Amino acid sequence: MSQSNMLAMILAGGRGSRLHELTNTVAKPAVSYGGKYRIVDFPLSNCANSGINVVGVLTQYESVFLNSYVAAGGRWGLDTRDSGVFVLTPREKADAGLDVYRGTADAISQNIDFIDRYNPEYLLVLSGDHIYKMNYAKMLSFHQEKNADATIAVIGVPIKEASRFGIMNTAEDGKVVEFEEKPEHPKSNLASMGIYIFNWKLMRKMLIADMKKEDSSHDFGKDFIPVMLNEGKRIYAYEFKGYWKDVGTIDSLWEANMDLLNTNELNLADHTWKIYTENKIALPQYIGPEAKVNCAYITQGVEVEGEVTNSVVFTDAKVGKGAKVVDTVLMPGAIVEDGAKVTRALVADNVVIGKNAVVGSADSQNILLVSENVEAK
Amino acid sequence: MSYQALGIITSEANYIRVEGMQDYRPIGAFSFLGRYRVIDFPISNMSNSGIDRVHIYVNSKPRSIAEHIGSGRHYNINSKRGKLQLLFTENNDPNSIYNNDIAAFTENIELIERANREYVVIAPSYMVYRENYKQLLKTHVESGADITLLYHKVDNAKSAFLNSHVLNLNHQKGVVSIDRNLGNTKEKNIFMDTYVMTREKFLEMIKKAKSESSMYTLADIVSDECKEFDVRGVPHKGYFAAITTLRDYYQANMDLLDIDTARNLCNADWPIYTRTTDTCPVQYFDGSTARNSLISNGCMIEGTVENSVLGRSVKVKKGAVIRNSIVLAYTEIGEDCQLDNVVVDKWAQIKHANKISGSPEAPVYVKRNDKL
Repeated sequence: MSQSNMLAMILAGGRGSRLHELTNTVAKPAVSYGGKYRIVDFPLSNCANSGINVVGVLTQYESVFLNSYVAAGGRWGLDTRDSGVFVLTPREKADAGLDVYRGTADAISQNIDFIDRYNPEYLLVLSGDHIYKMNYAKMLSFHQEKNADATIAVIGVPIKEASRFGIMNTAEDGKVVEFEEKPEHPKSNLASMGIYIFNWKLMRKMLIADMKKEDSSHDFGKDFIPVMLNEGKRIYAYEFKGYWKDVGTIDSLWEANMDLLNTNELNLADHTWKIYTENKIALPQYIGPEAKVNCAYITQGVEVEGEVTNSVVFTDAKVGKGAKVVDTVLMPGAIVEDGAKVTRALVADNVVIGKNAVVGSADSQNILLVSENVEAK
Repeated sequence: MSYQALGIITSEANYIRVEGMQDYRPIGAFSFLGRYRVIDFPISNMSNSGIDRVHIYVNSKPRSIAEHIGSGRHYNINSKRGKLQLLFTENNDPNSIYNNDIAAFTENIELIERANREYVVIAPSYMVYRENYKQLLKTHVESGADITLLYHKVDNAKSAFLNSHVLNLNHQKGVVSIDRNLGNTKEKNIFMDTYVMTREKFLEMIKKAKSESSMYTLADIVSDECKEFDVRGVPHKGYFAAITTLRDYYQANMDLLDIDTARNLCNADWPIYTRTTDTCPVQYFDGSTARNSLISNGCMIEGTVENSVLGRSVKVKKGAVIRNSIVLAYTEIGEDCQLDNVVVDKWAQIKHANKISGSPEAPVYVKRNDKL
């Protein structure tokens, strides 16, 4: 391992059961987002754009698709010599039985042998279910400047929402003095983004210690970071400014898609920080003679013959003649047939909304997930 | 066991000149239908037909073709067993009488001699059509013909295809001769510059042409040889465009706004491969209008787009109206500017010209990088 001194591990986590049917057959990081992307494209592209060459993706749920998806590392430019994307599922090893990942820290511990192969100086730990663009090289510079043992990326959240997050209380120079997981009375609004840089040598030692602890749940937030703080290690908070969204639920996934309309703070059009993804074979999008498109985010391969308003439309989706799609996310291959109406919904991959069918309503509290074909009543 | 062929993609002839566009790149490198280049069609035809060795001749301005094709990986050609090769010719003045296909083949004759394939399939880089060469090759071998030529029967040869060759056929589809289209009759069999023969026959043709005249082209020598050899025509069905003038280019893009025609040319069973630029989806802002158009990723639309083809990352500002136009990648159409029957080349910015309009027969061309 010669080129990069930082290796990245993406915690792709478990099933993501709050995304319901969307994760029936794929892990959460493989869920589609933003017309043409998958969630995992964001941390992978950020890595590629930050000059990180080796990325491990840790998952234990439905890894087959994810594996084939990320194995084509060339999509993100991670295919030069000494580069690669690897899906790391729990393995049976010579000296230990087959075990599940018992927690986020344990997932790293069980892959110490993988990391050792590259012998990096720093380890970057990322979450697989966040949408954001971030230069990890800048964060590493900060980490080095502060001579830190660990650096945690944080983002300012509205103080009234702070009790939903892991909150960092910091000194003036950014040194973390206290970490509170979902505090009832938050003292700061700096929420952990689940992005960590560790000095690998120290981390390795501490992970081995953590593995042996019976009372540990082997979790970064609950166990590993508190132990580091107790032991007086230097942890710094690196404040990130920009768009960041956790897409753990249907509502938040829908919202994150809607955020691409109008203001589009995420700015996926930025040529200097592209998000890379699978290259689908498709014609440019076709907007038919009677179509009406207003305020929409639509990708190639889509055919629109009807009306699309305030919606995000993914690859190969179709909107038939006289159909109306409002405040909706149409996932890849979703079809809204002639005369159908879809409002405030998230229509899952390849679902067909039949002719003249009506789904969703403008005043629903939650976003309707449509994961099975619908026919007109 | 299917027959193995070397694919050869040729440049446009030295008398073809597409106004404006060709000042910057050969026709194969023209953007087409928003996200493609013209040459993606012949290369994809070959790739989809299982031809995994392809020689691509570039007779002028190689930069954009070299950049677009790169390693060729995006054409789904096996990266170990297959190969896409770009062959540049030393005489690269596109209008020189000596810069013809035979000269290019002669310059690279060693590569043709060494190619370990029994047959050759030769197709032009400036025509858009879909053809399964595997089938064509099979037809060729089974017919026992020496040379097989692909043609398309048209009924507008008086006003179109004026830079093309025509095949004169006898009743058994035997080729009697190959001539230039003189525009004197409506119905003609337009030769699609597509040949199938053994590699050995091809090498023989190159050598014969060379000894005959430095100006002789492959079509010239094959026409001569019709008397001696069994040269047959095979009709092509489906969409066909030869891009030899700005009007052809404009019209071919417009033709494919008919989505069924476009889908027939490019679909899951017959994909047209191209280089990805990892561009984000199209953003339509409040108050935008789009109708009957093909719009490529990365476009930002605040104004109106009708009956048009937009390349990648085109910005259409508020109040701008684009009608019946081909707008290439990275251009910006400023506030309240109106375009009708215009071809706007890459990176152009139209800000101060309120209205630019041509006609379908004579579309207006706006230069690459130009500011209006």
